[in-house]
Amino acid sequence: MLQIALSQLKMHAGRFVAIVLAVLLAVGFLSATLMVNASTTASLVASVGQDYARADLVVSPPAEGAHLSEADAAAVARTSGVAESYAEQQLQIQAKVGETTIGGLIRNLPPSERLEPVALTSGSWPTKTGQVAVDAKTAAARALTIGSSLELLPSGASSSAHEATATVTGIMAASTDPQQSWAAQFAAPADTLSSLAGGQAVYSSITVAIAPGADGATVASALDAAVHQAPGSVMTPSQKTVATIKSFTGGSDRLTIILLAFAAVALLVAGLVVANTFSVLIAQRTRELALLRCIGASRRQIRASVVVEAVVTGLVASVLGVAVAVGVVALVVALLAQNPRYQYATLAVPASSIALGLAVGTLLTVLAALLPARAATRVSPLAALRPSDEPSLRRVAGRVRLATGVVLAALGAVGLGIGAAKGNLLLAIPAGAVSFIGIVLAAALFVPRLVAAAGLLAAPAGVPARMAAVNAVRNPRRTTATASALVIGVTLVTMMMTGAATAQTALSSSLDRHFPVDMAVNGTGGVPFTAQQLADVRALSGVEASAVLTPVGSVQTHSTPRAAYAPVYAISASDAAAVIQSPADRPAPGGIVLPRGATATPPAVSPGPGASGSVDPRSASLAGTAGTATDLPALVLPGTLQARPGQLPQQVWIAVDPKLDGSAVATLRTQVAQALGVQESEVSGAAIEKATFTQVIDTLLLVVTGLLAVAVLIALIGVANTLSLSVLERTRENSLLRALGLTRGQLRGMLALEAVLVAGVAAVIGTALGILYGWLGAQSALGTFATVTAVIPWAQVVAVIVVAAAAGLGASVLPARRAARLSPVAGLAIE
Amino acid sequence: MTTTSESTQPRSALHDAVTARGLRKTYGRGETAVEALRGIDLAFPAGEFTAIMGPSGSGKSTLMHCLAGLDTADAGTITVGGTELTGLADKALTELRRDRVGFVFQAFNLVPTLTARANITLPVTLAGGKVDEEWFGQLAATLGLQDRLDHKPHELSGGQQQRVAVARALLTRPAVVFADEPTGNLDSRSGSEVLGMLRRSSREMGQSIIMVTHDPVAASYADRVVLLADGRLAGSITDPTVETVLAALAKVEG
Ligand SMILES: Nc1ncnc2c1ncn2[C@@H]1O[C@H](COP(=O)(O)OP(=O)(O)O)[C@@H](O)[C@H]1O
Ligand SMILES: [Mg+2]
Repeated sequence: MLQIALSQLKMHAGRFVAIVLAVLLAVGFLSATLMVNASTTASLVASVGQDYARADLVVSPPAEGAHLSEADAAAVARTSGVAESYAEQQLQIQAKVGETTIGGLIRNLPPSERLEPVALTSGSWPTKTGQVAVDAKTAAARALTIGSSLELLPSGASSSAHEATATVTGIMAASTDPQQSWAAQFAAPADTLSSLAGGQAVYSSITVAIAPGADGATVASALDAAVHQAPGSVMTPSQKTVATIKSFTGGSDRLTIILLAFAAVALLVAGLVVANTFSVLIAQRTRELALLRCIGASRRQIRASVVVEAVVTGLVASVLGVAVAVGVVALVVALLAQNPRYQYATLAVPASSIALGLAVGTLLTVLAALLPARAATRVSPLAALRPSDEPSLRRVAGRVRLATGVVLAALGAVGLGIGAAKGNLLLAIPAGAVSFIGIVLAAALFVPRLVAAAGLLAAPAGVPARMAAVNAVRNPRRTTATASALVIGVTLVTMMMTGAATAQTALSSSLDRHFPVDMAVNGTGGVPFTAQQLADVRALSGVEASAVLTPVGSVQTHSTPRAAYAPVYAISASDAAAVIQSPADRPAPGGIVLPRGATATPPAVSPGPGASGSVDPRSASLAGTAGTATDLPALVLPGTLQARPGQLPQQVWIAVDPKLDGSAVATLRTQVAQALGVQESEVSGAAIEKATFTQVIDTLLLVVTGLLAVAVLIALIGVANTLSLSVLERTRENSLLRALGLTRGQLRGMLALEAVLVAGVAAVIGTALGILYGWLGAQSALGTFATVTAVIPWAQVVAVIVVAAAAGLGASVLPARRAARLSPVAGLAIE
Repeated sequence: MTTTSESTQPRSALHDAVTARGLRKTYGRGETAVEALRGIDLAFPAGEFTAIMGPSGSGKSTLMHCLAGLDTADAGTITVGGTELTGLADKALTELRRDRVGFVFQAFNLVPTLTARANITLPVTLAGGKVDEEWFGQLAATLGLQDRLDHKPHELSGGQQQRVAVARALLTRPAVVFADEPTGNLDSRSGSEVLGMLRRSSREMGQSIIMVTHDPVAASYADRVVLLADGRLAGSITDPTVETVLAALAKVEG
């Protein structure tokens, strides 16, 4: 029996290509995911560890974002067993080299080289005020040499910070720590940092070298006590490295889980393709199997021979898949490492990624072949004697399976409906998954019918078209399995697209409630914008209208639980109409618009910060109305109140062309900031927020679609495979048709139409389901805080259908060519 | 009844449904080469029902496939209904088969997904032509298929299936009908029904028929029997009977 299985593989190697390809892709995906995860961690260990490599112990701040104080540093230094300690202070600064300003990080130097994390490559470490060391990468990029001078500018807002001029005395190796490697790195004596910081020094960590003979654990607990922290904040360098990585790979782990979910989808689709291929292979072999049974092979032997085929195929495919994964990940890492920012990229191929890939791939193939193998054992010995041209066609999917499918689909749908209505994602996700599994199980109920119905549309195109339509549903089970594989991929792709579009729209409308205008620019307190600046802004393309808001004072918006104030601005009625989206946010004569949720009545407008005086008595007579946006200042018409702005800055509000896309908005933001002479961070508003998350959602969508494309690709391999196996099966029939006058072109067209019918119907079912799931998913995720209306990205949906149908057409090319090449005689001669 | 051993000389192609001249065909190359046809000159007069006979491996099927444009000969010329086949491209050959030739095979004659009616009209509909309904009705009636027209092949008996194939072959009023062992899979009663049909269509409608068979009873329905041996003509019998055919075969095989 082993011999029979192996001879099958050898003789019909071509028929197993699809299985190998499908499993290869899915296993490759799975292994690559695991390797990416391991490589990310390895890369981080290699780079993050550098900071602590030379220390014996590391004292960390009590919490993420907290700092260690001068007192902590002193306490550490005093602790017995500590030979030396380095409290590291790090500041974000700007450095002016010649005419250019670059962003950078500066740190203080350790007391001695013992705890210095990086090596000096030339010159000497700074020792005095006014000296600085710079990293080799920046030195090369900015043409800095020993003796060059540069200006260090504080980037904080503290008024006591001072800039400093410094001379380069040393060039040091650039740090590979991803937290630093993006920036120009400087090191200087501590007093340089304190003048740049303009306040008390705070430290990000204290590295410690312990005295010879001292016990590490004892010193660590002494340090814990010294800095009054919970045990565990003092770690060894390797513990610290792991902790640091954990702190910023929360994302990487999540990424791995998401990637694994996609790998699971790819594996599922591959499993369908494998099962389908095996059942076709076995149907074709009915006679042969029956003959084997006639001459005495037992059921068990027949099953074993099929399973052996599956094991061999699965193993070969998995080995190839793992090899491809290693190759691809190695290539990506090598390419990344060429980029100086990612030079620490390290390839890691854990044994688990290989073992898991091989095991899952082989197991998947065997499991997927089990059902077809059972069908093989049901072949009766008599079948060998029956002149049956048609291998058992009219077998419908098992009743149990259909019933389970219908029940799951119904239960899932109910759960999904409730999840969507209640905005409960935790209910909606599993319920959605259950309903989809149910639909796939019950697909035999509707897929063949839909394909047949679609075939009716093709009927007027002639006999070949009619035959294609009939052939497409000739074996309902096979058609269903082929289509299901594609439905899964297409559903998920469309779901993501619809979900993204729906979420985008829903978030847009909820953003509008936060920001009354597209763009708002804060000026500088007490300094009005010049007429020239305002004209420049108006001249920018993309600016539809702009208005200056003059500060008047500030108004109390809440009295409980704490008194809260909002600035009051005056804006003319025409300006308000031009730039404020909602009419409810525009001030009316004798009225004042307050931020959404303001409860203070009557309105009490007092002078702005820095101005003297008391509440304007006229404000009490204003009618206060609540606006629609929370980030709205209070608005009145000019002349309504006495202007006592104090330090309140002017604002410029801008209506932005709604057709601008994300990057255009970002550009406009820069241009506006330049025209008005403010920092970009002073330009905010709905348009900018929208642009930001539109970009995020679009990027995510692109990535997800790319990942799901693997599943769609595998499914399309399935379509090509089913068709080519059907073509093999119908060799005689096709030859007969050719003998009777079907031209090669007509034959190719017939097979192409068959593939397009199956792929097209699968694509339509998939998009319909995907739209539904995408909308319900967005409803469940966002329903509680935004109004969700289904947004169908028609262009994308149509593109998916067209691509799937076209790919179906493409999938038919090879099988059709093989069928057409066969001469009628050759086909008729086959017994 | 005459038995001649010289080959029948081809006459003018105008009066012949099919002619072959100097036909040669070799399968394979070198040591394993098999010369299936070694120079065949033959003419099949229009309206005649000819049977091709000969021992197994003598080249009957190969000859028929070449004459029908299903396969190409290595040398020689063939005409079907006055059209020279040599050098025709696949598309032209396909259209010639569709429009000028009818086929009845031993088995697997029908497209399993199509009804009997659709199978019969297949060549016409493939050509995008209109079915001659009167002729169709007449054929269906003659062949006793009226109440079987909406059945799929697997719902028909072997004899019915072959009669559907005959109806399909005759529907286009082709220049010639080729039949390869049309009764090979049938019991003798169904076989004689089909053969009687073929003879009637030749006698009454002037249909040219070329039938390959190894069955002397089947051959006796023909107007003439052409004998093949080792890829060469080995004689012909006009107005054959079972006895004359058996005698001639014995001579060829012996
Ligand atoms: N496709 C083929 N390849 C090689 N040899 C063939 C092929 N078809 C037929 N032959 C050989 O050509 C000879 C004639 O075959 P065929 O025409 O089928 O004879 P018949 O139909 O009279 O039995 C035989 O020797 C056969 O083995
Ligand atoms: Mg033969």
